[in-house]
Amino acid sequence: MLEIKNLHASVEGGREILKGVSLSVKPGEVHAIMGPNGSGKSTLAGILAGRPGYTITQGAVTYQGQDLLAMSPEDRARAGIFLAFQYPVEIPGVNNMYFLRMALNAIHRAKGEPELDAGQFLKTVRAKLKLLEIEDDLLQRAVNVGFSGGEKKRNEIFQMAMLEPRLAILDETDSGLDIDALRLVSNGINKLRAPDRSVVMITHYQRLLDYVAPDFVHVLSEGRIVRSGDKSLAAELEKTGYVGVGA
Amino acid sequence: MTDTAQALVGDGYKYGFVTDIESDTAPPGLNEDTVRFVSAQKGEPEWLLEWRLGAYRRWQKMTEPKWANVQFPPIDYQAASYYSAPKQKAGPKSLDEVDPELLKTYAKLGIPLHERAALAGVAVDAVFDSVSVATTFKDKLGELGIIFCSFGEAVREHGELVKQYLGSVVPQGDNFYSALNSAVFSDGSFVYVPPGVRCPMELSTYFRINAAKTGQFERTLVIADKGAYVSYLEGCTAPQRDENQLHAAVVELIALDDAQIKYSTVQNWYPGDAEGKGGIYNFVTKRGACRGARSKISWTQVETGSAITWKYPGCLLEGDDSVGEFYSVAVTNNRQQADTGTKMIHLGRNTRSTIISKGISAGKGQNTYRGLVRVQPKAANARNYTQCDSLLIGDRCGAHTVPYIEVRNPSATVEHEATTSKISEDQMFYCRSRGLSQEDALGLIVNGFCKEVLKELPMEFAVEAQKLLSVSLEGSVG
Amino acid sequence: MAVKTEAAPYLEAFRPDASEPAWLADARRKALAAFGERGFPTRREEAWRFTSLRPLADKSFKPGRGKLELKSAALPNGVWFASMARTLAERPEIARRAINESDLAGGQPFASLNAALFGDGFVFALDEGVTLDDPMEIVHSAAEGSINLRNLIVLAPNSRATVVETYRGKGAYWTNTVTSVSVGASASLTHVKVQDEGSEAIHFGMVRATLAPLAAYRNFGLTLGANLSRQDVQVAHGDGSNADVSGAYLQRGDQDTTTAVVIDHAAPNATTHELFKGVLDDRAHGAFLGTIRVREGAQKTDAKQTSRALLLGDRASVDTKPELEILADDVKCAHGAAVGDLDPAMLFYLRARGIGENEARRMLIEAFVLDAIEAVEQPELRNHLASLVHDWLEAGR
Repeated sequence: MLEIKNLHASVEGGREILKGVSLSVKPGEVHAIMGPNGSGKSTLAGILAGRPGYTITQGAVTYQGQDLLAMSPEDRARAGIFLAFQYPVEIPGVNNMYFLRMALNAIHRAKGEPELDAGQFLKTVRAKLKLLEIEDDLLQRAVNVGFSGGEKKRNEIFQMAMLEPRLAILDETDSGLDIDALRLVSNGINKLRAPDRSVVMITHYQRLLDYVAPDFVHVLSEGRIVRSGDKSLAAELEKTGYVGVGA
Repeated sequence: MTDTAQALVGDGYKYGFVTDIESDTAPPGLNEDTVRFVSAQKGEPEWLLEWRLGAYRRWQKMTEPKWANVQFPPIDYQAASYYSAPKQKAGPKSLDEVDPELLKTYAKLGIPLHERAALAGVAVDAVFDSVSVATTFKDKLGELGIIFCSFGEAVREHGELVKQYLGSVVPQGDNFYSALNSAVFSDGSFVYVPPGVRCPMELSTYFRINAAKTGQFERTLVIADKGAYVSYLEGCTAPQRDENQLHAAVVELIALDDAQIKYSTVQNWYPGDAEGKGGIYNFVTKRGACRGARSKISWTQVETGSAITWKYPGCLLEGDDSVGEFYSVAVTNNRQQADTGTKMIHLGRNTRSTIISKGISAGKGQNTYRGLVRVQPKAANARNYTQCDSLLIGDRCGAHTVPYIEVRNPSATVEHEATTSKISEDQMFYCRSRGLSQEDALGLIVNGFCKEVLKELPMEFAVEAQKLLSVSLEGSVG
Repeated sequence: MAVKTEAAPYLEAFRPDASEPAWLADARRKALAAFGERGFPTRREEAWRFTSLRPLADKSFKPGRGKLELKSAALPNGVWFASMARTLAERPEIARRAINESDLAGGQPFASLNAALFGDGFVFALDEGVTLDDPMEIVHSAAEGSINLRNLIVLAPNSRATVVETYRGKGAYWTNTVTSVSVGASASLTHVKVQDEGSEAIHFGMVRATLAPLAAYRNFGLTLGANLSRQDVQVAHGDGSNADVSGAYLQRGDQDTTTAVVIDHAAPNATTHELFKGVLDDRAHGAFLGTIRVREGAQKTDAKQTSRALLLGDRASVDTKPELEILADDVKCAHGAAVGDLDPAMLFYLRARGIGENEARRMLIEAFVLDAIEAVEQPELRNHLASLVHDWLEAGR
């Protein structure tokens, strides 16, 4: 699914942030990438989704056999990559539903699947709302405009449900959420787990992992993965902190 | 720029074709004889000829306004032809008599003139070069006492109304271009809605410049009598030509007590090519008078075409409690220049006005909002709210905001806000990471930026306008 | 060369001073010729469309002389603070910077007139790295005639200072000041001007400020006096410089005042903040013209301009023209302008708590003006300005 090999990257014209990250994600796996602030977690997420402003100095990333780094952000999305943003962007004047329908149909077109008309689209929306057990109160508003932190994250998970990605990258999706919002969001993530869908969760805290059980846990520190293990590594982190695991 | 984007720019303007039709065209040049020729062609009464000649004499003493933020080489007013009409039998009684080439032209533009095929609920007056070629749904409107016809016909059939209102909002000598129009205007549309009547359908004029080396000088007069309501819209296209063509129209609106006029424009004259060659000079004077108490005039414009746009649709808020509105989207891409805005003149008590302007500059386009809000001493409790936002796409374009606020009454409240920002890379990336192409992402964000204005357009045209915005900006990112 | 009628008396009054350096005599001749050819500006000119020069045109002022006082605490080395006359005699190399090409070109006719006729003014120059906590104070009082003052403020890199100018007087006279300001790299200048001229006076003031990279310039103007007045502030930014140009104008009776600010962002990364408040009573007229110009390549400009006016008198009026000219895309620019009366809800709230209507109005007006004075950082200076505003309101009771 996703193969990251010795990835080095720096901020455009600035310092090196990733200093040789390697990671292999197979279909259906859930990986958690943990690490202290400034370890390069969000940079990794941004690079996988094609956020501008980074220079890859070394290494390669292949996704379903393709050179991921050569693809535009939209081509990545159409190929099934979904980034849940740490800070979802506000787009005044653009209706959430309209936005989603445009996105969904762009992905359908790319796959050679028929576009959804308004009726079919609405049906899908309802089904996904039901699946995630969430309200439809955000849908008629402008994209993320005036949303609370929890509403923005919920909107991201809803988009993920609608766009049905192959690889979901969740960037600090748990940050800034109270316990109720965290339950709602992690419930959504669990519902969307599937044998052919991989998830990379990026988080600073292990509390998300109490709700979404990962298959693998990696500790990122100073631009490198310093430890990898199973769920028990997260528990160890909980006890000893990042320093205790060598980060 | 990507190859796809490049390819899209190439065929950006879809209405650039020429209709091959025989025309009666006046020889180039402008003098009193030209004015007499135009008037004679239309079989006008003496008073109108005198009115035209009066305007011509004033025009001769006037000079082109220089204050606008637009640059163009001097116009040779003697080189253009001031009259061009497709050859057809005088005043076709029905569409069967209209030249099929013309019908084809309008069908190609998406404006079918056969009533059975027409857009539901829209009556159309089609103006081709200097004359109106067809007006639909006249009979149906006639049953309600609504007059909707070509200007020429109005002069013949409803001379008294025309005489009473012509020039009463935009006087002959108002400005250089309106004086020129008053001298040589050829045709246009006329609307009268009688007291208490709510016009049941959108009235629409579709303007088309076809002939080469001609200008278009149409005149539109809309009168809403006491308690009447009418929604009127106009669309404009022209063939793709290397020369610049002048379009100097005058629109006058009159709303009496409790009357409402909603006037919408989707302006898509040929903008010239990417290097700035060709395109229409759109120098237009539009003004409405809220003459009656509680009357309301609302201007909505989507300006995507023309090499140069110079227009300031305004409202004279004469009646107490009258309301003026101006909603505008202006796009300049490549080398287009727009200097546009509004004038809200508060004269009566408790008058209110709202101005929402969205300017989008891309390529090497220059976009200026120029507006005047004036509160006169007697306009107690006048209110104005203005919001002007500019969006910049690329670092070669310009956005300018020049509002004038003149307040002569202490009970007035005037608020003006303006912002300028570039298209947000974060927004673009967010959309693209959800699978939208750059072009679609841009279209989406721009349409969101313009939403407050687009929602003012009648439904059928809002969709068209959205597409037009995206098409106008094709090739501006990448 | 044709001389405009209204300019003729000023040309005739010109008396060359043989003791002056040649460069100055030459500049004066050129500037005078430029003014003569140009004459007074008219309302057809965009920059003057809201200013009626009738009170000036109706009179012909003979050359006059005011009283110029310079006050400061004991000054360390590296500071020059003296009259223009003394500076010309002792430090002509500094004085020379007070005149520039635009004085000779005639585009700003009253600046040209000033260059030709100025008799005195003040000069304040600070060497690199010198910082002063106490303000330099300049007080000018006048009684008759036309008085042209040429002022100069030069801050070398990394220096810091505060300058407070006050203009007062009694009688019918015309003060015309031109102040050149140069703020060096990373230097910081607070520049306050109080225009409290006599009620029959005419006052024109022009500031031309040039900011070096990372310079900070705070300009605050309080306009209270004169029958006719105009304040022009023109700022040219350097890379990453910061300008705060703010002010308040309070006018009553037949007073007429114009504030015209032009901020030129020719370099990137610079920030501008502008806040102007106007209070106009009786038949007074106020005008605010503000231009923010962002030139090609001036990326990362961040500029905000706000102008608000309160109309108190039935025949008071205001004209506002906030203008943005933007030719770079990576910028944040905004302006807001508002004209209105006091908020009735606030007025009612105060009155419902037992405060009389007049007192409530006075409180709200004071709060409205003090908002702009917040731009001045030094508390003592802010208090000084606030007390002047308070006095103005008391005088109107």
